[in-house]
Amino acid sequence: MSLIVAFNSEVYQATSQQRLSYPAYYNIKVGFNADEAHNIVKECIDGVLGGEDYNQNNINQWTASIVEQSLTHLVKLGKAYKYIVTCAVVQRSAYGFHTASSCFWDTTSDGTCTVRWENRTMNCIVNVFAIAIVL
Amino acid sequence: MGAGPPRRALRGRGARRAVAPPLGRVGATMEEYHRHCDEVGFNADEAHNIVKECIDGVLGGEDYNQNNINQWTASIVEQSLTHLVKLGKAYKYIVTCAVVQRSAYGFHTASSCFWDTTSDGTCTVRWENRTMNCIVNVFAIAIVL
Repeated sequence: MSLIVAFNSEVYQATSQQRLSYPAYYNIKVGFNADEAHNIVKECIDGVLGGEDYNQNNINQWTASIVEQSLTHLVKLGKAYKYIVTCAVVQRSAYGFHTASSCFWDTTSDGTCTVRWENRTMNCIVNVFAIAIVL
Repeated sequence: MGAGPPRRALRGRGARRAVAPPLGRVGATMEEYHRHCDEVGFNADEAHNIVKECIDGVLGGEDYNQNNINQWTASIVEQSLTHLVKLGKAYKYIVTCAVVQRSAYGFHTASSCFWDTTSDGTCTVRWENRTMNCIVNVFAIAIVL
């Protein structure tokens, strides 16, 4: 059965023939929705860095804006998650840049999402880590 | 509840003890850790020392090498995470590591967190040598039992 309903939003058409036995407005997607977070973060980056070239004077303000706007939009989803958003911006060059991350958490409820963005003068990597709040 | 033996970072890493350790942070169960834990929040200094030793162990004396860099970053995060978990505290951990070759080009990072400020915490370790810069972030989220 493939049934997806959205929290606080319209109820999408169920593909199953079974009658719903619970209120249809409950969010029954288990785990972290990485696609949704990906879209949110990508829009934030486009809004801040789109059309800009690397500028040392503005870069602090840009990175701060990216993480703050992404975090605000993620929190607005209203899910019971704690969020950690990290952003790294590197000027495009022939020099190497590597990142790695490792997490010790509950794999069924927690999740991560990484967004890579680039333009002519810079590379941007944003990581989102979501930890479920157990009520 | 006495003060107990002085705390050291990386206690018990490969060490053999002649006598059984007193009831403390090493060798005890999770419930015993929780009962005797007298500090509130995340101990950033302890995490800082742990991570710094891991980086020194992996990158110390090395120059930037594109063939090895993947292995190095993976080693740093995995070893740091292993040692943090061995502390036995009721925390979930996220460890991120970024290694950049030293150059005249800019490199900026930022992070923002939405969590419980009383119990969760973070620690950032910056390390550098002649050929590379390394930044490791540790985020610790308390597990509410």
